[in-house]
Amino acid sequence: MTQAATDPATDSQGGRRWKPTPIEWFIVGLGLFLLGQHWLVSLFSAPAWQAGATVFVAIVVQALPFLVLGVVLSGLITAYVSPAFFARVLPKNPALAVPVAGAAGVLIPGCECASVPVAGGLMARGVTPAAALAFLLSSPAINPVVIVSTFVAFPNNHMMALARLVASLIAAVVMGWIWLYFGKGEWLRIPQRDHLQGDTKFETFWRTAAHDFLHAGGFLVIGGVTAAILNVVIPPSWLQAVSDRPLISIVGLSVLAVVLCICSEADAFVAASLTQFSLTARLAFLVVGPMVDIKLVALQAGTFGRAFAMRFAPVTFVVAMIAAAGVGWWLL
Amino acid sequence: MTRDVGSIIMILIGGALLRITSGDVYLRYVKESMRPWLIASGVILMALGLLQLLDVWRSARREAQVHAESGDGAHDHAEHGAPKMAWLLVVPILAIFLIAPPALGAYTADRQSSVTTAPDASAQAPPLPAGDPVAIALNDYASRAIWDDGKTLVGRNVSLTGFATGAPNGGWYLTRLTLTCCAADATVTKILVLGSSVTPSSNSWVTVVGTWVPGGGTQSETAISHIQAKTVTSVKTPSNPYE
Repeated sequence: MTQAATDPATDSQGGRRWKPTPIEWFIVGLGLFLLGQHWLVSLFSAPAWQAGATVFVAIVVQALPFLVLGVVLSGLITAYVSPAFFARVLPKNPALAVPVAGAAGVLIPGCECASVPVAGGLMARGVTPAAALAFLLSSPAINPVVIVSTFVAFPNNHMMALARLVASLIAAVVMGWIWLYFGKGEWLRIPQRDHLQGDTKFETFWRTAAHDFLHAGGFLVIGGVTAAILNVVIPPSWLQAVSDRPLISIVGLSVLAVVLCICSEADAFVAASLTQFSLTARLAFLVVGPMVDIKLVALQAGTFGRAFAMRFAPVTFVVAMIAAAGVGWWLL
Repeated sequence: MTRDVGSIIMILIGGALLRITSGDVYLRYVKESMRPWLIASGVILMALGLLQLLDVWRSARREAQVHAESGDGAHDHAEHGAPKMAWLLVVPILAIFLIAPPALGAYTADRQSSVTTAPDASAQAPPLPAGDPVAIALNDYASRAIWDDGKTLVGRNVSLTGFATGAPNGGWYLTRLTLTCCAADATVTKILVLGSSVTPSSNSWVTVVGTWVPGGGTQSETAISHIQAKTVTSVKTPSNPYE
């Protein structure tokens, strides 16, 4: 690998005075880290640092397979599905395309890390942003794997899985419509794919996947670091403090969902264990989590731009919470 | 970031996933069921990195030919590179290869109270499996003791493996963490060990063989069940440190 890495660098020097290329900086930096490994490890010997590092690696390792699934799907969409296909299956009227795309979220069995690059790929293929956003929000919450795991996690409350599906779909479609009528095109950076066009479809496929991975990966790291710090810093006891006030507990568990960044395929089991809270508050945890969490907002900022994420995430948080409270009051 | 650095980063992070799944290291962070997915994404990331690296070489060679024919040329391959943000992917690569943070232990357990969730109300706790002593999970023991008044534990020798954490008044808890998804959501089960002459140091792994004794409360999530120890043996950290 080292030998492989230095080759292009020697190519580009062209015999002039040695000026390090990025890849050479990279290798020098890596060498320094190897030399300093002992010191680094001792730096991380304090228990709090160690626990933080473990939680950080855990969040990243847990999210990577889903991010990889997402970028592979996004590459497949870009390379093998023509824009004409989406024009055919989605209604022409954007206001109707939003609920159709929202309901289509049921098709992709991934979690929130997978849906971000897929939604980016859909937009690049000409799908109305509002519809792609409805898909982005609904797919991690209403796909079959998530609904079944919710069903299993709440053996005594079968309505929970249904309530989750209904509330998530409502929140996703409402957000799509809000974007359609109030969103400004300049806030959203639609991922550009033209320069990724290869000579063959396969080349377009892997180039898109690699491009999307590198664009989102750094933001995943930011999300992981933030979540790890909050995980170690926030005392678990503050949860106890909010559990006996109905309205505050809904807000409390929604905030917890944002902070914890649990994968939507497993969050039902965490929600099931929060038995000191009302079912509606736990529903809010399950509806908000797949739509807004720190890792996900960071991923959105990386894919669609910061201006977008800063506006979209807070509104989504409020809409998801209200949808959960309403559906919880109705069904649970 | 230039495309060649991007390729190396993808190869390294793919390699990091393959490295932790080649042994038991990944069990410090996620559940066993993630293993095939981690391996698959490790392979895919390495393949993407290699494909991009080959592509960079090919275009570099093409460029070199153009250079030779027409003199100076622009380095246009750099402009398609990933954003600066992608450098952050170096952090998990270094964390995995150089530090490989240990499994969560006493520090995390000390900060949380023991939580034993109520089992499915319709399901009766099944009788303990055969064996004397019978090895069971800490959360299984706690659940039987707290939510079933210890009925299925009476008269049996059980063997529990966990790490030690300090209890108030000089006692100690046998402790184990449970993951639902990954180490970010670990919950803790603590069992108060009675009748043990030794107090193992915090975070050291032990197997306790003993019998159930009432105490510590029932029908409450935060109750802490008790065990009367017959033997306490120190053991190696199990390959999966969580339940």
